[in-house]
Amino acid sequence: MNDSEPVDSTLSASPTDGNSIDSVRSILLAQERERICQLEEQLTALQQQSAALQQHSNTLQSSIHDIQAELDRLRHGDELMNRITPMMSNMIGKTIRESPEAMAEALGPVMGEAIRVQIRDARIDMVDALYPIVGSTVQRAVSEFAREFQRNIDARLKSTFGAQGFTRTLKARLRGVSPAELALRDSLPFSMREVFLIQRESGLLLAHIHPGSESATDSDLIGGMLTAIRDFVRDSFGQGQREKELDEVQYGDQRIIIQSGQHAYLAVVINGIESEGFRAKLHDFISELHVEHGIALRDYNGDAATLPDLPPKLTALVGGITVEKVGAPAPLSRNQKFGIAAASLITVLIVGVMCFYLQFTIALFPIAFPAPTHTPTLTSTPTPTFTPTPTATPTLTPTPTVTPTRTPTPTPTFTVTPTPTPSNKAITTGNVWMQSSLDAGAVSIAAIPKDSNVTVIATSGLWAQVEWDSDRGTRRGWVLLEWVKMLR
Amino acid sequence: MSVIQKKICLLGDFAVGKTSLVRRFVEDRFDDKYLSTIGVKISRKTMARGYGTLNLLVWDLAGGDNFDSGSSYLRGTSGAVIVCDLTRHETLSAFERYAAQVRAVNPGSPLVFVGNKVDLVEARAITDAELQTVCAALNGSFLLASAKTGEQVEETFLALAEQLELH
Repeated sequence: MNDSEPVDSTLSASPTDGNSIDSVRSILLAQERERICQLEEQLTALQQQSAALQQHSNTLQSSIHDIQAELDRLRHGDELMNRITPMMSNMIGKTIRESPEAMAEALGPVMGEAIRVQIRDARIDMVDALYPIVGSTVQRAVSEFAREFQRNIDARLKSTFGAQGFTRTLKARLRGVSPAELALRDSLPFSMREVFLIQRESGLLLAHIHPGSESATDSDLIGGMLTAIRDFVRDSFGQGQREKELDEVQYGDQRIIIQSGQHAYLAVVINGIESEGFRAKLHDFISELHVEHGIALRDYNGDAATLPDLPPKLTALVGGITVEKVGAPAPLSRNQKFGIAAASLITVLIVGVMCFYLQFTIALFPIAFPAPTHTPTLTSTPTPTFTPTPTATPTLTPTPTVTPTRTPTPTPTFTVTPTPTPSNKAITTGNVWMQSSLDAGAVSIAAIPKDSNVTVIATSGLWAQVEWDSDRGTRRGWVLLEWVKMLR
Repeated sequence: MSVIQKKICLLGDFAVGKTSLVRRFVEDRFDDKYLSTIGVKISRKTMARGYGTLNLLVWDLAGGDNFDSGSSYLRGTSGAVIVCDLTRHETLSAFERYAAQVRAVNPGSPLVFVGNKVDLVEARAITDAELQTVCAALNGSFLLASAKTGEQVEETFLALAEQLELH
């Protein structure tokens, strides 16, 4: 055998050689085979994982799809509100229970705006919601007012029949209102809460009282601010004229009544309806204060020691006004006193005249209504008759007959003819009225009973002037001639 | 112990710091927000003095060019603090006008001049010499104060109080 030729081991190998090759091959490729096996295992595991991931992905995709559908539903409907509302309610309820202050602080700023919006958008609903609260509050206030009003009315009624009641009735009549109306007005609630006396120029407080109530104000600052407001109003609306000043400020049910003096002014905080003459009393007070302490008020420079004791004066002012409002009558003014005096005088005159006529009527009563007679006529109406002239005119030439003189007219001529007959005694033929004169407006001055003796003084037409001696003296007047019969 | 009350007024142009000075003096606090005073704002500060108590009623008047319309607020004033802004030179020139207004109403009333905002050193536009010149001409003293830091605020009103007691 040649060592230099290559040996084809494959061709020349025996079956035993094949096993060897396989053995060698297995030895040589063992690692690779092991590696392949591992890779195959890994591949299998990866395939399994992939399948699992695919399955998970499908599941997630399905979930995402569901969520997407859910979101779409929530986004386009009230579902979101329905879901969140129970949670919100629970959360708010829990917060309110655990920390109410924090909740109030958080909601406070928006409450006003929320209410305003709600009133704007649903006014009726808000009214319905608030009515039970507001209604009861108003009812309570009205009831309180009514009770106070009733108390005042009762107090007034108690004094109706006394001197105060009479004075009030008289005052009411003089003012042209009924006593009830005056009593009603005086019974309206009224109170003075605070009284400030303030120096006019500087606004410095001179005195301050607060009857019947706690003073919740810083009186020094109130004095200054009131003065500033007065100055502002005068400068803005009064063209700076001193005589044009602010005299009242109203806020709610309270008013500040301002009464100015030369160097100081009063500011009275009141509730209700002030009594009549209230301002006049303030004016009188401030005037008298200036008369007494004008220099001190003017020269006040902030040192309280230079001022008189002013609070008692303010207290007296308040006391006087309050007492009067409660029950005592106000002192009458000069005009009122004059009116009352005039009314009293007129009343006395009327009563006097009435007494005179009453006495006269009583005196004439038995004459005017004597015992019943058969002569029922008493008339002053002249009847148109032909009356013969009862006076015979003496003539020098005797005439066989006396021609009766016909009275041409029934109208009296008022020419009095003296009766020259020696006997002018006569007698009344019936109950007859005696008139004072023959004028149309003459009045009856006496009623002469029948068969009374009279003296005829003169005649005029159908009338005769007679004198009659009555029980009350001699009366002279005119009667119809037809009721007079001359005595021969 | 007696109690004395006095009315004093604070005058000066817009935004010189009058209200801030009063707030620092009365309430000892400062607020950066600027709200223009409308009309007048009245505050009270009680000061313990040797003779008793001094109640200062401080009328903080709105600043402005048309101050004539507010001159009625000056009636009855015992003294005044006139304020300028040290960072705005034009506020110093108004001193003379305000001093004349006060003395027209109450001749001889003590005046204290204040340069406010002394803490704003970089922005300062009015010198001490200028202030000295103007205030001397108006026969008054001046202080440099800061409502923001509280510097010389109490001293300003104390100076006026002392002059009121001498007056």
